[in-house]
Amino acid sequence: MKHLKKTLSILLALALCLALVPAAFAADDMAEEANLVFYVMGDAPQDEQMVEEAINAILKEKFNATVDFQFSTWTDFSLKYNNQLTSGGADLIYIANWLNYGLLARAGAFLELDDLLNEYAPELRALAGEDMLNMCRVEGELYAVPALWPEYVPLGIKYREDLRAKYDLPYPDSIENIEAYFAGVKANEPDQPILRCTTSESASSLFVAFDAATILNIKYPWSGNNGLPYGLASNYDTPDQVYDYWFSDDFTEDMKLMKKWADMGFWSKSALSDSNDSEAYDNGLCIAEVAGMNPNKQISSANNFAKDHPEWESAYIAYGEVTGVMYPGHATQNGTAIVRGTKYPERCAMVLNYMMTNEEMNDLVQYGIKGVHYDVVDGVYQNLSENFRYENFNTWNLRVNEYKLPQESDVALQAMFDKYNEIAQKSKFPNVNIYGGFTEDYTEYEFQRTAVSNVMRQYLAPLQAGLVDDVDAAVAEFRQKVTEAGLQECRDGFTEQWLDYCTEYGYQ
Amino acid sequence: MYQQNASAPSGRRETVRRTKRNRIYCLGLCALLILMLFMPVFSWIRAVNTEELYGVMNLKASVVKKLTADHSVLTFLSFVETSKQGVLGFWAFLLLIVSAAAIVFCLLTFAVYLRGSGRQAEKGMLRTFSVFQKGMCFSFLAAAGTVGLILYANAHYGMTGFLPGFAPCAVLALSAAGYAVSKRLEKEERILYREHGFLRELRKNWVLFLFLVPCFVFFLINNYLPMTGIYFAFTQFNFRDHLFASPFVGFKNFEFLVRSEILHLTQNTILYNIVFIVVGNVLQIFFAILISHVTNRYLRKTSQTMIFMPYFVSYVILRVLVFNMFEYEVGLVNSFVTSLGMERIDFYNTPHYWPWLITFFYLWKNIGYGMVVYLATITGISTEFYEAAQIDGANIYQQIRYITIPLLKPTFIILLLYALGGIMKGQFELFYQLIGNNGMLFNATDIFDTYVYRITTTQPLSMGLGTAAGLFQSLFGFVLIMVTNMCIKFKNPEYALF
Amino acid sequence: MNKIKDRSTIPFHIVKAVLLTLLSILCVLPFVVIISGSLTDNLTILRDGFSILPRNLTAEAYRTIFRSPAGIIQAYKMNFYYTFMGTALGLLVITLTAYVISRKDFKYRNHVSFLIYFTTIFGGGMIPWYMMYTNVLNLRGTTLAIWFPALMSPFLVILMRTFITGSVPDAVVESAKIDGAGHWTIFWKIVLPVLGPGLATVGLFQALGYWNDWYRSSMFSTSSETWSLQFYLYDMVNSTLAMRQMAQNVNINTAELPTQTVKLAMAVVATGPVLLFYPFVQRYFVEGITIGAVKG
Repeated sequence: MKHLKKTLSILLALALCLALVPAAFAADDMAEEANLVFYVMGDAPQDEQMVEEAINAILKEKFNATVDFQFSTWTDFSLKYNNQLTSGGADLIYIANWLNYGLLARAGAFLELDDLLNEYAPELRALAGEDMLNMCRVEGELYAVPALWPEYVPLGIKYREDLRAKYDLPYPDSIENIEAYFAGVKANEPDQPILRCTTSESASSLFVAFDAATILNIKYPWSGNNGLPYGLASNYDTPDQVYDYWFSDDFTEDMKLMKKWADMGFWSKSALSDSNDSEAYDNGLCIAEVAGMNPNKQISSANNFAKDHPEWESAYIAYGEVTGVMYPGHATQNGTAIVRGTKYPERCAMVLNYMMTNEEMNDLVQYGIKGVHYDVVDGVYQNLSENFRYENFNTWNLRVNEYKLPQESDVALQAMFDKYNEIAQKSKFPNVNIYGGFTEDYTEYEFQRTAVSNVMRQYLAPLQAGLVDDVDAAVAEFRQKVTEAGLQECRDGFTEQWLDYCTEYGYQ
Repeated sequence: MYQQNASAPSGRRETVRRTKRNRIYCLGLCALLILMLFMPVFSWIRAVNTEELYGVMNLKASVVKKLTADHSVLTFLSFVETSKQGVLGFWAFLLLIVSAAAIVFCLLTFAVYLRGSGRQAEKGMLRTFSVFQKGMCFSFLAAAGTVGLILYANAHYGMTGFLPGFAPCAVLALSAAGYAVSKRLEKEERILYREHGFLRELRKNWVLFLFLVPCFVFFLINNYLPMTGIYFAFTQFNFRDHLFASPFVGFKNFEFLVRSEILHLTQNTILYNIVFIVVGNVLQIFFAILISHVTNRYLRKTSQTMIFMPYFVSYVILRVLVFNMFEYEVGLVNSFVTSLGMERIDFYNTPHYWPWLITFFYLWKNIGYGMVVYLATITGISTEFYEAAQIDGANIYQQIRYITIPLLKPTFIILLLYALGGIMKGQFELFYQLIGNNGMLFNATDIFDTYVYRITTTQPLSMGLGTAAGLFQSLFGFVLIMVTNMCIKFKNPEYALF
Repeated sequence: MNKIKDRSTIPFHIVKAVLLTLLSILCVLPFVVIISGSLTDNLTILRDGFSILPRNLTAEAYRTIFRSPAGIIQAYKMNFYYTFMGTALGLLVITLTAYVISRKDFKYRNHVSFLIYFTTIFGGGMIPWYMMYTNVLNLRGTTLAIWFPALMSPFLVILMRTFITGSVPDAVVESAKIDGAGHWTIFWKIVLPVLGPGLATVGLFQALGYWNDWYRSSMFSTSSETWSLQFYLYDMVNSTLAMRQMAQNVNINTAELPTQTVKLAMAVVATGPVLLFYPFVQRYFVEGITIGAVKG
């Protein structure tokens, strides 16, 4: 009995294994109807069916294909996203750098697009332009088509302008002024909490461990947000001149500053375990936010203030306005890829091409059915139905500058973008997101990397949160621990790849 | 159970035994030979035509140098690791497991035989035969699998690169012969001891087998087939080669176990779990007994329901509640403490409070849930016992001491044993939600699961790493439970899990 | 149950009353806080924390949850369906299995117990399990994929075995066998009737497991039609949180919820029905003492 079962299970395991090996790359037969699954993030709109039918009526006639949007939902989305790729259930898929586009592409999750685009999507290739496409290349191969709408997502400080004006405090546009602003509010309103901070949520970042430390970006003209990983840094103008931040005197000084601020009560002593609560600012429970704030966040807060607290005013200063380092979001922020293992690579390319180069189709996908779901009044998008809102398929990857209908809030956003564009034009590499295009391959030193990230949680976070008694001693301890964890291997591995990258793209 | 077998006429038994002994020694020799053939000095797979073979595998000259021409089952794994051949890796890995099973069972044959002849054996040689047959089956599978692997590899690379060595052929023949002989001997022995085989059992208890069908189907689909995924612990996954053909990397994914503060993590995990299991069960029994002695039935029901309610408070909500309580500036506890004129307590930066707090919240959430089992067991106790005890003049303590607790003991032991296998796992949510990413508290609160969670989030595609960590936990629990269960079975088979 | 009260039991009853009262309060207090929190204004919670009684009373959180009644009714419906299917079928197969491995005359009972227990220790991880259901069995998007994977749990099988061995003495089964009863008869006529507390306990655990599940809905659903209640509620909060997080990288519009109070209201909405049904099961393990007297 037992033997039989064992034999049986081994045989079945082999059968399972064969079943899991994806079907060989079959040639696309246009006569056969292709049902393409387009995997996107988030939740489905109420009228998903209705809009899909409208889309498919056109696609069926043109390409003998239909598209079924499938949604990740926002619960465990990155886990499910990876599952979807592993199990091969999708044909077209949304990609983004925050979904590890670079790593996935390197691991072969997506199809190479160069030939497919040439043959089946020449209009799209022309519309995107080689510069945009090149930014999506990983190890020289093109795996994704980016969204074609330039946007800026710099870091910055979002703060209560009304309080600044009321107590006649300086604009928070430098470390000293930020301190003066916070201290001024604290002195006048002792019960008003200043910041809500917590441990840095994205564990995969090896830059900061406590998010208040993001504020230091106002001080350094770094080439990427928060410098480079593993406590390295380089300036935007000289990206290939990598220098050591964690072991520099600047770092010790900065940690002393954080300690001073913590002692001044700018954030809670229990901040390390606080849950990141972004409702706090909009409800007046803190007077500024310093991490992960971009123009869009400022605008949504300003709107919330206008609605709930008209007497309040929110303002925003991008750190780049101070340091002069400004660059747009990277092309891989929003993009579309074709999943390796799809049965219809050609049809995928054709459908993607049509969705991004045909205005009628693009509008249909992004905004639903005109007259039912939306209308255009004076060139501005107006929503007509809750059942399909603006970009309700969450296809931010299909945004195309020429077709994108502005919303009311986009006016303010565009004004900010124009301002940033001006700064960006003056920099050495106008409008290039240098760090954003870099993908690190850390397989050689992944264990050291993990150990370093652990040390950061354990020793860097309390330092950056100012929770230590003796900064010098704590800095020394952190440096010792992080060295023991294998920092040098990580730095060597990273630096080598980074310099190669800079040389390849001429960022010198 | 079959005590009557002792009544077999002793004279006949003696002669049968003597004639049989020689044949049994033959079997022992067979097992010994097979064991020897499994030693890595014997060639199982011969690489002929090496140059072309390494050519189709796209290997660099530096790599080829590392690969020897002949391979035993053991060394073949290192061959696939160096040559990064995924599918061969999966196959070779299965072979390794089967070979290990073959070796274990061959060795066990001797152990069981010696033990069986040392004292009055319960069922003669039956156990020895059964173990021996398992050994033969696995040996046969290993040898046949090796031949299969060679055929597959040759077909896969479209050339004659591999040939079977001498060992698999010998093992094939030996194991088949050994199995056949032992089957015959077993049959005689069966008749002697009136012990039936599988088919008889199937005929006799077919209804029971029928009852088990859904169970088999379920566990096969839900657990046993997906268990093939354990293999991923030894690969570096990529989408081009996909799951079972990704490069085989040996024990690379386990490296983190050596690097990290693994002892400290293991210690934390086990200590927390022991406290949870023991204190949890004792409190559950204690309160179950108290509730069962509440005379008013509405009070009894109400208090039971109330104690059950924390089960419904999810850890996400618990996190918010706990933070509100223990926060430094405005937390409830500190507001209370300062109103008494004392110093604030810095909970979130002081590790030594947290083992107590975590244990408290675990117990708080789980007492009501676990208590149901004991309540139900108490409910099942016939009142006759208590009535009789009362007539004998036993007071309430004596009734609890001599009736309730002994009757709860089997359940208690089974639950304890059950929990033992998972001693390296579990309660991730509790720790993750209450502590979050607060590195200040890690020394006192980091357990294996939270640590692995942090690793896997720093390495988003590390499927192998997560599986490797899980395998480590499993092996730890497995060894622990096997040893414990064996001890318990030795003392009192009633309480054993299996 | 104890009518003859001698004086030595008085301290016992006092200790009992005090401890149970304390524990009950300790256990129910957070729930009171949750209910009052769910009725409080979100800002008040954020600013002043929790309290026993609601302040700035509002049903805002509940309005948010019920803003699309069709959705939540569907989710309730699915939850009842999964709970019913899972509990009824699960209880049957668990009891059958437990009966088999509790029979001493079944030669392979230890082998089977071992095979069942083994699954709690070793597992291949989430991905092969997921692919078993999606790629091999092709069940993605079906309701079967949501209730089947939790049909049996080794813990409940072993627990049920303990109940069976505890409540059905071997002698009873032996004598029934001598009377010519087959396993079928023994199972239905002798084992099941005395298994009340065991069935109630295992059934309760099984049902709670199903009622509270969101994970399988999250993994296997392709449309909101098949979402369980917990996932429906859970996803509501998660989408707000995730989109906020995402808006740090990309310019997108985020829909805002009063997450703090919605979380609390969710707990109330999801737990309510269970507390209504609870007393019906409860009698089997709380009141059984009198039942025992009848049968004894």
